[in-house]
Amino acid sequence: MDGRIVIRAFRDGGGENRMSELVRVTDVTKVYQGGITGALNGVSVSIEQGEFTAIMGPSGSGKSTLLNLVAGVDRPTSGTVVVGGTDLGKLGETGLARFRRDHIGFVFQFFYLLPNLTALENVLIPAQLKGNSPNGRARELMERLGIADVGNRYPARLSGGQQQRVAIARALINQPTLLLADEPTGALDTRSGEQVMELLGELHRDGQTVLLVTHDAKLATRHAARVISVMDGTIVDDARLESPERAAAEVIRVRGEEAAR
Amino acid sequence: MSLKYGVLGLLKEQPLHGYEVKNRFEAMLGGTWDVNIGQIYTTLQRLERDGLVRPVGHRGDRGKLLYELSPEGQEALDEWLATPDSGPQQLHEEIYVKLLLATRIANGDLKGMLARQKRAYLQRLRDLNRLEEGARRDGRIDLARLVRGALLHTEADLKWMDELSSERFGTEGAKTE
Amino acid sequence: MTAVLLKAMRDLRRRRLQAAVIFVTTLLAVGTGTMALTLIAQTRDPYQLAFDAQKGAHLKVAFDGRIDPGTIAGTPALIGATSHGGPYRATDIQFQSAGHKYVVTAVGRDNPGGDVGQVRIAAGHWPSSTTEIALTRSFADLNHISIGDRLKVVSVPQEPVLTVVAEVVDIDELRADVGGVQHAWVLSPSIAPLTAKDASFLMDYRFASDPTSAQLQAHLDTLRASLPADSVTSSVNYIFVRAVFHVSTQILTGVLVAFSLFALAATAAIVANLVTGIVISSYREIGIMKAVGFTPLQVIGVFVLQILAPAAAACILGIPIGSILSQPLLASNSQALGLAYQPAFSPALDLVALVGALLIVAIAAVIPAVRAGRLKPAVVIANASAPRGNSGRWLRRLASRAGLPRPVVLGLGEAAARPGRSILTLLAIVLGVATVVVALGEARSFNKIYTYEGHIGQVDVVVTKSPALADVEAMQLINSQPETMRVVAQATTNINVSGIGDPVNTLGFRGNSGALGYLISPGHWFTGPGEVVANRGFVQDAHLNLGDTFTATVHGQALKLRIVGEVFDFSAGPGGHILMLDWSTLTAAVPGLTPSVYQVTLKPGSNLDGYVKRLASAQPDLLDVQANSTGNTAFLTVIAGVLFGIAAIVALIAIAGVFNTMLLSTRERVRDTATLKTLGMSPRQVIGMVATSAGSLALVGGLLAVPAGVALYRMLFDQLSSLGGNITPLAFFDVFAPWELIAIPLGGIIVAVVAAAIPGRWAARTNVVEVLHAE
Repeated sequence: MDGRIVIRAFRDGGGENRMSELVRVTDVTKVYQGGITGALNGVSVSIEQGEFTAIMGPSGSGKSTLLNLVAGVDRPTSGTVVVGGTDLGKLGETGLARFRRDHIGFVFQFFYLLPNLTALENVLIPAQLKGNSPNGRARELMERLGIADVGNRYPARLSGGQQQRVAIARALINQPTLLLADEPTGALDTRSGEQVMELLGELHRDGQTVLLVTHDAKLATRHAARVISVMDGTIVDDARLESPERAAAEVIRVRGEEAAR
Repeated sequence: MSLKYGVLGLLKEQPLHGYEVKNRFEAMLGGTWDVNIGQIYTTLQRLERDGLVRPVGHRGDRGKLLYELSPEGQEALDEWLATPDSGPQQLHEEIYVKLLLATRIANGDLKGMLARQKRAYLQRLRDLNRLEEGARRDGRIDLARLVRGALLHTEADLKWMDELSSERFGTEGAKTE
Repeated sequence: MTAVLLKAMRDLRRRRLQAAVIFVTTLLAVGTGTMALTLIAQTRDPYQLAFDAQKGAHLKVAFDGRIDPGTIAGTPALIGATSHGGPYRATDIQFQSAGHKYVVTAVGRDNPGGDVGQVRIAAGHWPSSTTEIALTRSFADLNHISIGDRLKVVSVPQEPVLTVVAEVVDIDELRADVGGVQHAWVLSPSIAPLTAKDASFLMDYRFASDPTSAQLQAHLDTLRASLPADSVTSSVNYIFVRAVFHVSTQILTGVLVAFSLFALAATAAIVANLVTGIVISSYREIGIMKAVGFTPLQVIGVFVLQILAPAAAACILGIPIGSILSQPLLASNSQALGLAYQPAFSPALDLVALVGALLIVAIAAVIPAVRAGRLKPAVVIANASAPRGNSGRWLRRLASRAGLPRPVVLGLGEAAARPGRSILTLLAIVLGVATVVVALGEARSFNKIYTYEGHIGQVDVVVTKSPALADVEAMQLINSQPETMRVVAQATTNINVSGIGDPVNTLGFRGNSGALGYLISPGHWFTGPGEVVANRGFVQDAHLNLGDTFTATVHGQALKLRIVGEVFDFSAGPGGHILMLDWSTLTAAVPGLTPSVYQVTLKPGSNLDGYVKRLASAQPDLLDVQANSTGNTAFLTVIAGVLFGIAAIVALIAIAGVFNTMLLSTRERVRDTATLKTLGMSPRQVIGMVATSAGSLALVGGLLAVPAGVALYRMLFDQLSSLGGNITPLAFFDVFAPWELIAIPLGGIIVAVVAAAIPGRWAARTNVVEVLHAE
C-alpha cells in the first residue's frame, strides 16, 4: 500500500465492482417554501462506485439540493434516493443520522469545524458519535493531509486551507462510502484551493467515490470524468468526458498573423 | 502573436541558425504552433534586410548561418514587448459564425447546437486540465501558464454558452440587415 | 429617539419568546415583591388601629374572687390608670356542644361598650337574658359553633343551657387558634349560677399613653403590694397580645421578603443572561445600526427598551395581582381584629414596586447592553459573528478523558462555554433550589413544633376532666381500660416568682412526665421534688442560671425551687414564662391540687377510636376525651401555603432561567448543531447534548443550593423561634432525611433536563440545509 491509506467504498471492491451503481436518484422533486432557492424538478441520475462526478451549475440551480438529498440531510418532496442499496426515504431521523455517520463524508465550503474543539477532536467527532475513538487512524489521515502538526490547535488558529484539510480528514474518518464536497474551494485562495482539489483527486485515484458540487467548470473538469450540469432544477447535461493522454498541439493552437494570412 | 518577434526574442538569448530557431520556437510553445523551416528562413532574411538581425561570421558547413540581434533589433524587440495588445479582439473559432448563421437559418435547433458546443468545451477543459497538470509535472511552468490562459478562455466560452442557453430565442437576432 | 423606539419594538416582535421569558419571570417576581411590600406596609397598622378603636386595655388583671369588689374598684387610682373597665365577675365554665367539651372563662358584663376594652359585636346581639352567651368569633369559627347553637354547661350540677346570641371580637385577648382559654360573655347575674368553685374579678386598665413593659411591671407590683397576698391571679398586657398577633405576620413577611428578593435576583440574572445573549446574536446588526448612525447610547437604549417593555407589561399585571393576592392575608388580620376589612391598595406602594422592579430589570439589562454600545462598527461588520464562548475546554478535556460519550462531553463543554452565563444561570438555579429547601424546612419545623407541643407520638389520648369529677374516679376509669399503658396527669396553676411581674404559668405533672418528650437544653428534666425546668424567657427574666435555687410562692406558701433544665417551649408565647415541675413539688404547697388533663398513652396496636368512644361514654358529661392528633393547624396551613406557593414561584423562575439559557446557547450554536447533524449526530444525541448541558448546570447548582438552603433555613427558623424566646434545639433542625437532600438536587436536575427538552428538541430538529446554506 506504499504507506497510503487506501480508501475504498467497499473493502472487497476490486475491478469487477468498479462499475456497480452506488447512488440512484429517481424522479426527484424538491419544492421549497419561502426564500430558499434551489428547487429540483424531476431529477433522475445514477452514480457509480469509484466515480468522480461533478455537479455543475450556477447558484440557485439546485445542485447543492441534489447533493443534500444524496447526503440524507434533506428529503425530497417526491421521488426516491437510494444510496448503497438503502432507500433514504424509508429511514427515520435517527436512521438518516446513522446513514450519514456511517456512509457519508461531507466537506463544506465554509469548513464548519466546531470552533471549540481542536483539529484532532474535530476529526474524531464522527467516529466518536459512533462510540469509538480511532486516534491512530485520525493521526494517519492528518499525516497524509499534511496537517499532522496542527492537531492540537483550535480552528481559529488554522489557515483556511488547513481548516478545509481538517474537514476532509473529518469526512474520511469513518471510511465513508461516498465523499461529498460542496464548493470545497469556494472560501479558499487559489493555491489552497488547488491543493484541496489535488487531495480529492488523489483520494479518487485510491478508489474513493467523490461527488463534487461546484459552479466552477475548471474545477469540475479537473478530476471528474463526468460532469452533470444542473440548471433551474433540472439536469440539462450529463457529460462523460474522455481522459486520453493528448499532446498539447491537439488541444491548443497558437496562431500568429502570418499563419492566419 | 508574430513569428517575427518570436525569432527576435529567441535570438536575444543567443545567436542561432535557422533550424535551431524553428526547434526552439516549437518547443517553447509546446508544439501548439507548427512552423515550417521555409517560413523561418524567409523571416530571417526579412529581418536581416531591415537591419534587425545580422549574420555572425560566414556560412559554415552544410550552409548553416548563425544570426544575432542587432542593436536596432534589440530596440524593436523592447518596443514590441512594451506595447500592449490593443488591436481588435481576435475571434478565430467557427462557433461565432455558426451562431450567427444558425440564428438566421435554424431557429429551432440553437439549443442543441449550444449544448453540443458546451460539451465540447467541457471536454476541452478536461483536456486542458490534464495538459496543465502534465506541464506542471514536467516542470514546464511557462507552458502551464499558457494552458491556464486557454483554460480561462474556454471557461469564458462555456459561460457564454450557458448565457445563450438561458436566453429566449426568436427571430429578432436575424434582423441585422 | 423615534428610531430607537421603532427598532426596539420591531426587535421585540421578532424576539417574542425572549419577551415571554422576561414577562413571565418579571410577573412572578413582581407579584411576590408586591405581596411582601403590601404586608410589610400593612401589618404594623391594623392592630394599633383596632386597639385605638376599641379602647383596648393596656393591662388586664384577674383578681381572686374572694376579694371585695370595692377594693378592686379602687385600684385604678392606685396605679394611675386614666380609665378602667370592671370589675367583672368571671368564672371558668365547661360546656358541651356537638359532642365536644370546651372550657371558656365566662365574664359577667352587661354591655359591650365602656371606656376600656370595648367588645365589638361582629354578628348577633349582646346577651339580654341569663340564658344567653356571646363567644369570640375566633373561638366560634375554630370550633364551628354558630349563633343559635345551644350550649350545655356541664361544669355545674344544674347543667344550664345557654344560647349563643353573638360573635364578638375582643382586641385584648389572643385568637382562639393561637392559644389560651377564651373569654365568653354573659349578663352579670348569670355568673353566680355558673360558678362551680372559684370565681374571679377581671379588671381592664387603660393609661394616658402606651406604657412600657417595665411600667406595666411596676403597676403589677404596686397592685400586689397593696392587696392581700395572692389577690392577683393572672394578668395579660397589650404588648404581649400585640407581639403574639404579630408573630404569624412576622413569619410570613420575613419569608415573603426573603423569597421575593430571591425571585427578583433570579429574574435579574435571567434578564442579564438574556440581554447578553441578544447582544451576542445581533453582533452584525449592532454594526449596521452604528454604521447608519446610532450613537452608543442609542444602541444601549434599543436593548434596554426591548427588555423594559415586557417587564413593564409584567409589572402592570403583576402589581395588581400581588396586591390582590395579599388581600386574603390582610383580610384575615382585619377579621381577627374585628376591623371592617377594607381592600388596601396603595398607589404609592405600587409605584415603589413598579419603579423598583423596572430599575432592577433595567440595571440587569444595561450592564450587558453597554457592551453592545461600545462595539466598534467596522470590527463588528467585518466579523459578522460574535466571539464564541470557548471556556469549556478544560471541562471537555476532563470529560473526554473520563471516557464519556461524545454528546455528553460536548454538552458539558457547552455548559461552561460562557462563564458569565453559567454563573448567572447557576444563581437562578441555586436560588430556586434553595428556596424549595427553605420552604420545606420551615414548613416541616413549624409542623414539628406543633407536633412537639402537642406531644404527638408520645400521647395518644387527651382526657380533660370537669372539676365536678374527682381525680381518683377519673384515674380509676382510665386505668381500668386494658389498652392504657401510661397516664400523665397535668395541672395548671400560677405561681409567683420575685422579679417576674406576672404569676408564672406552671405545669405540674404526675406520672412519668419524662416520657412526654420535652426537649431540654441545657440541663435535664426534673427528677424529683424541688426541681423545676423553665423556658428560656423565664431563665433570662429571672436572671437565673442552671442549678440556681429561687423561692416562689403559691397560694401563700413558699416553695424552694432549683432550675435543672431549660425547656424548649412555644406555648408561653413571645416573652412569656413557663415552669414545669413534678406533682410532689406542688402538692407540698397546694394540698387540694387536682389535675385537669390526663395525657394517656396506649399500648401499641390498640384501637384508638374504640378507646376514645368507650372512655367518653363512661362519663359523657364530666370527661372530654380526644384522640391526640395534629389539631387545628390553620395557621400552619397558611404558612405552608405561602411558603410553598412562593417557593414554587422562585423555582419556576429558575426553570425559566434554565430554559432561557438553553434557548440562547442552542440558538447561538445552531450552526455547530447543524454541522454535527450532517456528521451523523442523531436527534437523540442532540437532545442528549443539550440535556447534559442543562443537567450539569443543575447538578452544580443543586450541590451549591442544598447546603446554602439548609443554612438559610436554619438561620430563618432560628430567627423565628427566637421570637418565642427560645434557643432552637438542634433536634428541630433535623427535618431533612439524607435521601431528601440528595433527591432535591436530583429533582432539580430532572426539572432542568425537562426544561431543556424544548430547546433541545428544537436543536434536534435543526434544518441543516437552511442553517448551513444561510451563510
